[in-house]
Amino acid sequence: MTELSLAAPDPVVRAAAHVSPPALALSYGLRATRRRWRGLIAPALTVATGAALLVLVAALMPAVRAQGKAFGDAAAIGRAAVTVSVLVLVVGALEVAITATRSVSSRSRELGVLGSFGVAPRSVVLALMVEPVVTSVIGGALGSVVGGVTAVMASVTGWVDASVAGPTLLEAVLTATAVSALAATTASALPSRRAAHRPPLQSLTR
Amino acid sequence: MTSTAPAVTTPQLRQALSGEVMLDRPGGTMPRLLRFAAATLRRRPDRAVLAVAGVGLAVCAVVVVRTIAVGYQDAGVQAVHTALHGAPYWAVPAGGVHYDPHAGTLVADGVPLQQAPAGWRAITTLTGTMPGRDDVALIGTQSVPDGVAQATPAALSALRLHGGDELTVGGATLSVRAIEMPGTRIMVPVDVARAAGAVSGWTTLTPPAGTSDAGSALAADTGLRVVGDPSIRPDPGGTGLIYATDAGGRSGFLSFESKFAALLGGAVTSSVLGLVAEVGLVLGFVIAVTTFIASVHERRREFGIMASVGLSDEVLYFFLVESIMVFVAAFLFGVLAGGAVVALVLPSFFSFGSWLAASALVATYLPALAVVAALIPVHRLLQQRPVDLLAEHS
Repeated sequence: MTELSLAAPDPVVRAAAHVSPPALALSYGLRATRRRWRGLIAPALTVATGAALLVLVAALMPAVRAQGKAFGDAAAIGRAAVTVSVLVLVVGALEVAITATRSVSSRSRELGVLGSFGVAPRSVVLALMVEPVVTSVIGGALGSVVGGVTAVMASVTGWVDASVAGPTLLEAVLTATAVSALAATTASALPSRRAAHRPPLQSLTR
Repeated sequence: MTSTAPAVTTPQLRQALSGEVMLDRPGGTMPRLLRFAAATLRRRPDRAVLAVAGVGLAVCAVVVVRTIAVGYQDAGVQAVHTALHGAPYWAVPAGGVHYDPHAGTLVADGVPLQQAPAGWRAITTLTGTMPGRDDVALIGTQSVPDGVAQATPAALSALRLHGGDELTVGGATLSVRAIEMPGTRIMVPVDVARAAGAVSGWTTLTPPAGTSDAGSALAADTGLRVVGDPSIRPDPGGTGLIYATDAGGRSGFLSFESKFAALLGGAVTSSVLGLVAEVGLVLGFVIAVTTFIASVHERRREFGIMASVGLSDEVLYFFLVESIMVFVAAFLFGVLAGGAVVALVLPSFFSFGSWLAASALVATYLPALAVVAALIPVHRLLQQRPVDLLAEHS
């Protein structure tokens, strides 16, 4: 490192001199997420449950339709199954947002310190959003894989009378992961923004 | 104690505390609890909204499934009623019968009873599709006069016909009459339907007047089992089954029609659709519990103060009221959203009556969920000593 004019003793601060604020905020958020991983297991599992169901329903759509044919409109029942699965996935993702509100409120003083050091609220929001995004993406991906493997197993062993199409499965996995990430991020954005824009003094004394 | 301060009794403390918390507003215990719970929820508005949305969406998923099931069941009652014509015995083919919502009627899966016992009044109904048109059901029934085809409005528009037109089917020319009934089907005399290729069907049987023990006689004569329970399905490899429909007199609480239709509704709730919705409800419950646990965690000092002045029992009421408020809001949101989802995504399943019935059904088990969701955090809280609750860090 040649251009280092600031003889910072701390390697973290020295590293910080070279990275852009967003990257710094992201790495800060990632470190905080790693520190608090225990509390993120439950929301990741609820997201995974929803994602696994969505992938299962989408991958085994022929079987769902066949079952729906018994009550008539196979296409409508297939649509209903997907709609209900997406609803359930969103419910799972909301758990991530509730965990985010809990995390934000327990880190209130930390946010106050950041604010009083002049860290821009935007960077704070970015750092806070790492946790819900990571939780929902990991949960969604995990659930999708479990759902996909279950669907393939069920169809290979003949437990369910339907073959699983590769493209459909991939599409279902991507959709499930995207829906969980989007729902969790949207729902967590408001509490994070509110906390980041609160005056530092208020955050410090909460 | 030798203190000179006036002795403070527990009721006074209680009053002082409640006065401070409730700001001495008028009203009894319940309005105060409600105001306190509302104030608590308002303190963390984003979390309250998320909890209501989470539980509400779970309720919505269940309402969607239940609305489909109830609608299917209601249609099934009508269809079975129409199929039976009030006959006391119903001979179904080996494949059984199923309700076809598109046709708006029951459809048989196999050939009907070939030989009715002598002296019995046997009415055969044949089910099939219009030749060349799989989307229009063709029903051969004795209730249609000769030379006439009765068509539902949906069938008329599917075949581009009008009342009074002539329709040639199965080699016969019939005069079309419109009937105001749901489904896409045309009803013609039995012979016409047979000529048009409808082979599936069922037979309703009425014994001759004065027959004693008609069921046993019927079983002996036809060689088929006679059962009263619609959940018993015919053996697919056999020749059929006869249901005793207890027409005229009901045996038990539910009529045969209702029992048969309940099986149809049960088929929906126990299908993939029903299972997914139930998992959703479990997730909604988890959301409610974690919300309250988070709330307990943040308010531990507040509860420490309450517990140290002997108000630990009251904590349960605080949470109960809060939980009930969340669940009531979630119920209203979920029921409205569920109705909207069914009406928009699955309009063919929506009816106001079945939506109301589904909502009422969900309302019956939500209170239990609300109470348990409140009990779990309170239980955790009461296991700790007030001193620990008051401590700065947990």
